Amino acid sequence: MTGRKVAVVGMGGAFPTCKSLDDFRDKIFSNQSLIRDWPEALTYDKKIRSTVAGFITEAEMDLEIIYSTLLENYPETYVDKKNRIPNINLATADIGSIWAMLGTQDAIKMAGWSIEETQAETTGVVIGSGGGGNTILRNAWHNFYVLGKKTRLAGSHSVDRSMPYREVANVSCLIKNRGVAETIGSACATGLGNIGHAYQLIKFGLQDRVIAGGVEGTSLETFIGFDAMQVLSKNFSAAESSRPFDINRNGFVCGFGSGIVALEEYEMAKARGANIIAVIDNYFNNSDGDGDMFYPSFAGQQRLWKGLLNNNTLPKPDVVKVHGTSTPAGDAIELLSVVDTLGESGYHISAPKSQFGHMLGAAGSVEFITALLMLQEQKVLPCLNSDILNTELEPFQLQPDWQGPKKPFSHYRHLLPQQSISKPINNIVCLNYGFGGTNSAIYISKDCAKPEIGTLNQSAQSPKPEASNSKNDR
Amino acid sequence: MTRQEVIDGLVEILQTVRTINQEKLIGVTDETDFIADLNTPSTEMINIASKTEQKFGIEFEDDEIDGLGSKVKDIVDLILKKQAEA
Repeated sequence: MTGRKVAVVGMGGAFPTCKSLDDFRDKIFSNQSLIRDWPEALTYDKKIRSTVAGFITEAEMDLEIIYSTLLENYPETYVDKKNRIPNINLATADIGSIWAMLGTQDAIKMAGWSIEETQAETTGVVIGSGGGGNTILRNAWHNFYVLGKKTRLAGSHSVDRSMPYREVANVSCLIKNRGVAETIGSACATGLGNIGHAYQLIKFGLQDRVIAGGVEGTSLETFIGFDAMQVLSKNFSAAESSRPFDINRNGFVCGFGSGIVALEEYEMAKARGANIIAVIDNYFNNSDGDGDMFYPSFAGQQRLWKGLLNNNTLPKPDVVKVHGTSTPAGDAIELLSVVDTLGESGYHISAPKSQFGHMLGAAGSVEFITALLMLQEQKVLPCLNSDILNTELEPFQLQPDWQGPKKPFSHYRHLLPQQSISKPINNIVCLNYGFGGTNSAIYISKDCAKPEIGTLNQSAQSPKPEASNSKNDR
Repeated sequence: MTRQEVIDGLVEILQTVRTINQEKLIGVTDETDFIADLNTPSTEMINIASKTEQKFGIEFEDDEIDGLGSKVKDIVDLILKKQAEA
């Protein structure tokens, strides 16, 4: 079904070590790492295996915690030192929801939406987060179960500050939109999944404008789950710890942040003279279908590409913004599936997690923003720390049923810039995957002459044989 | 503890509730209504009750909180009653 055209007209967010979107832009295009040693993790000494993260402190966001006098360590509410968010909205928000509200304010300001447009029945909010635990629940549960205190001492906001759709609830109460208010959860593809859902709501005429994105509030509770799985990077300096595609990569780096975008039906945006940052040409999501919670699927990613490119009605992108987590198996399958689809030349691969880590539920949306910035800057963000590429085949490439590319990583050096490079960029593909076998991809273009997308055909091609069964993280 | 001392203590608690307009805390009396006069969000009432227990060293029964009126005098009466029982 051919639907309406969708434009990206605004963006905002929270980024490690950065005071603003422009600060973020400057740092990532100057090849900086936003990953640091994390003091909170370091306090736990050997109980925690990895101690680096792309974290954001309250002070860095000009926020201050007001601790409860009733419960130890319970952040009762926050003070916004810049008076951006009213106290009534801060009272119902965890730290991630505050970031979502701040990002929404910036995105709407950039979009230039009026109050009437923002509060219309045709304006939706679709935002998600990935983490299952946070400070709010930890303290409420600890005080009840361990310390034996009454439930009421946790106050009346432990539900609204911890429920899965809390970011939408808080943003919607702040901007008072009257349209769709819901969340999509798809693990580490959540950020992109929400943008994809928002795109479809506009494309198929259900909404005219949508605030969309993903959030992952700084949370040791989230971090320790992955640390326990032994999938986090270790033994590198902070800036060198996230190293997608490098032969010595040994895990991902937890990142935290928020990426919020404002989407609008293209003709409406054009008619009011909006600055169109990009056009979304297609979004596609599928499931591996192989019953494996963790291991990436080459066949699943091949079907993802086929659906995204709509049977090749979209041209080869100039840049592929990969998921690129820095895990051994994840990067290997992903690189080879990209090469298998697009060939060995004519595009570059960008791995922003090399600069700020894996933002989990926010990864897809913050990395979507990096793609928007690449379109604006006409520069490809690097695969930082991809210093040495394997000159030998990956073990699964030696398996008799492997039908993907049969060349080693080192053969694709030219696709993986180690520093930001300038080049004409008209189209970018963004890829994100999540536990359970979910795969998401989006295709964006500059607002200029380019082929219109044809009739969507989401039927899957015959899957190719799977890779080996060794476990690793997406 | 006098009635006014209890009201003053209550106002100190209300000053920590950031969702209440702090300008309205000047001249709080027995007849001040938490909801109608101070625009206290209903969800904050349980926080105020909990902080009251802590400040005055008392513990309310759940039924006492459920039956609490919305005026300052209602909670002051309850505080003084609980202190007398202690």
